[in-house]
Amino acid sequence: MSVRDVLSPFTAWKNLFRDPVSIKDPLNREASERYRGFHKNDSGKCIGCGTCEAICQNGAIDMVPVDGAEGVKTQPGDSGLRPRIDYGRCCWCALCVDVCMTGSLTMSNEYKWVESDPDKFRFTPGIDKKHWDEYRNGYQRPVGHRLNAPEQIDMPELEPEDRIDSFVEIVKGYSVEQAKLEADRCVTCGICVATCPTHMPIPEYISAVRDGDYEHGLKLLYESNPFSQICGKVCTRKCETTCAASHEGDPIAIRWLKRHITEQVPFERYRDILGEPAAATDRKIAIVGAGPAGMTAAFDLARKGHKVTVYEAESYAGGMTRYGIPEYRLPYDTIQREIDLIVSMGVEMHYNTRIGTDISMQQLQQDNDAVVLAIGLQLGRSTRIPGSDHPQVFKAVDLLRRITNGEAIEAPKRMVVIGGGNVAMDIARSVARLQQQQHGEIAVTLTALEDKTHFLADPVEIKESIEEHIDIRDSRGPQECVVDDQGRLLGLRTWKVLSIFDDQGRFAPTYDDGDEQLHEGEWVVEAIGQMSDVSLLGEELTEKLEWNRGRIQVDDTGRTSEAWLWAAGDCVKGPDVVTAVATGHKVAASIEDVFAQQEAQA
Amino acid sequence: MTEGRGYKKLKAQTSLQDILEVATEFERTARDFYKGLAPKVSKRIRYLVEELADEEQQHFDLFSELRARPDIVEQVKESVETPASDRRFSDCIHLPELGEQPDDQAVLQYALGREHAAMEQYRSLAESTPPGPIRDLFQYLADEETEHKNELEKRYYEVVHSGGV
Repeated sequence: MSVRDVLSPFTAWKNLFRDPVSIKDPLNREASERYRGFHKNDSGKCIGCGTCEAICQNGAIDMVPVDGAEGVKTQPGDSGLRPRIDYGRCCWCALCVDVCMTGSLTMSNEYKWVESDPDKFRFTPGIDKKHWDEYRNGYQRPVGHRLNAPEQIDMPELEPEDRIDSFVEIVKGYSVEQAKLEADRCVTCGICVATCPTHMPIPEYISAVRDGDYEHGLKLLYESNPFSQICGKVCTRKCETTCAASHEGDPIAIRWLKRHITEQVPFERYRDILGEPAAATDRKIAIVGAGPAGMTAAFDLARKGHKVTVYEAESYAGGMTRYGIPEYRLPYDTIQREIDLIVSMGVEMHYNTRIGTDISMQQLQQDNDAVVLAIGLQLGRSTRIPGSDHPQVFKAVDLLRRITNGEAIEAPKRMVVIGGGNVAMDIARSVARLQQQQHGEIAVTLTALEDKTHFLADPVEIKESIEEHIDIRDSRGPQECVVDDQGRLLGLRTWKVLSIFDDQGRFAPTYDDGDEQLHEGEWVVEAIGQMSDVSLLGEELTEKLEWNRGRIQVDDTGRTSEAWLWAAGDCVKGPDVVTAVATGHKVAASIEDVFAQQEAQA
Repeated sequence: MTEGRGYKKLKAQTSLQDILEVATEFERTARDFYKGLAPKVSKRIRYLVEELADEEQQHFDLFSELRARPDIVEQVKESVETPASDRRFSDCIHLPELGEQPDDQAVLQYALGREHAAMEQYRSLAESTPPGPIRDLFQYLADEETEHKNELEKRYYEVVHSGGV
């Protein structure tokens, strides 16, 4: 034994003077700053998408209804559900926090919780108040750390200089690889479904894109929307406004994924995928108007085996999708394919047939078991300001119809548009193309009462209009279409609008008449609003019907006060394609119910 | 415009009660006009004409009640301390001939025109009257017509500037 061996045990004595390494009172110390302790949820920020529930590997999270609790209201974009966590199952892995689409779910650094009742350990963070709700420390998803990509896959489009002299479609569509990448961003929460007027099964068809099962995707689309090709191109996509992904990134490009499915399936396969209509019944239905609402009702009722006849005043079906939306946004062959598919279900079409002139409503009533009115909003409104009756002052819907009909239109060298909605953008961009073709340069000024943040037009439309050199002047109140002594239209005189809405959001403009401008134009085009042409009803039926502030009054099923007459589409609600489709489904279901009741009583 | 619709008749009145009697009479005339118009227009827009008749009736009641109050001077003075501001949106809209089958826009244009004329008339009377209770009353009446015009402009915007694709 060496001297060292003898002395070594005594060297340990030096540790008597060091600070202890162990913790004196381990139960009362604060955990580390980013400790994954008990959950917190900002219930006002949470949208109840259930992504946390889906990702939990232990099945520890259930989404439970808490509508009416503090900060929670079931509404578009909020399911009214909140995650309830079972600490008998939770392993505090924090995947739920990492995937949370709004960043509402976090963890405190509290780790002690004593209860005698084991059921208490199943709780709803944010709703069941806990003392750690106010803790500042704990785990939250680090900034920039995302389990799904926050940015949308860009849609390939024609560049402005390549598109401005033609009506060729701007959007090219996703490739399979692009579509799969975009579909991968979706967490399939389904919060969007309630917002879609026709409740399309969005998560399911996005899953079909991911799986590459396009025929299944197409079947899903057409079960809820016979205008899927059209909606894949021009839908107002309310669904995307409530998409869970939009809270911390871009929404999923739901519209483009729908379009992708319709483009991947050869059109020749559509009919087989949709299947045959039911056996023929002896029921007859007349539909007035071949727009999205009328044709959706026709599709549903024809598939039930009923004899459906559609009466259309124009030469082609499609309504405002054909006569109101320019071809660069929605090619006519897309519309025609949609119509052909619906007609193939056995729908009989009568074009160039005006109800009230060629056939009366009374005749339709006599000849059919039910009649559907789906006449849209075909008439343009006028500002009726001085000079607006000049022959060079047009309504946008009339001009768009003339362009669709292929009329040779001599474009003005300068044009002024009044309006800030999609129709205003459509006519501005259509005439800009004609100007480019005929004059080699564009001179279109678009004026609107509203400021840009209150424009009704889709922001993409505004962006593309600017790219196409449309001169957008917002907050301009039209005062006069100025006409010179020789009767020539000089343009539009406007005042600056200082503010437009009051604190209740109602119209209450204030002007600066010192800021007056003359926007020069050989044409002034009004795109301020539209209305239905209900003259086809005749005086007797107009008097019989109940009305709701200028629109035909319908009940929840789309039935009017006359038992034989239903109404759908823009003339009762809207205006947009997908809402028209939804109302078309509704009246078809209502008619089917009435037939079933009649048969049960017979 | 400001010299029309009973300007001279109003100008000749020397008591608050007499002025209010004439103003009330104007409201009655307007109410009866809309009531007479209602059955002539399409049922689709009849609600609009009926609402206008109701609103004129409310003004008729308001002025009648004011006329009967003993504290009319104080009431008017209090009201004119918060003057209504003319929005001017409809200044440039034509006053139409209503014709046999007016549409909703024409009915609203007509109503706006009437309210605008009344507002200007009362305002002109107020400006040409020396300070005092009578001037306050004209200002009060001008404010009432301005408020009604502003309300009609809201409705005009909601009816006309709507329904795009």
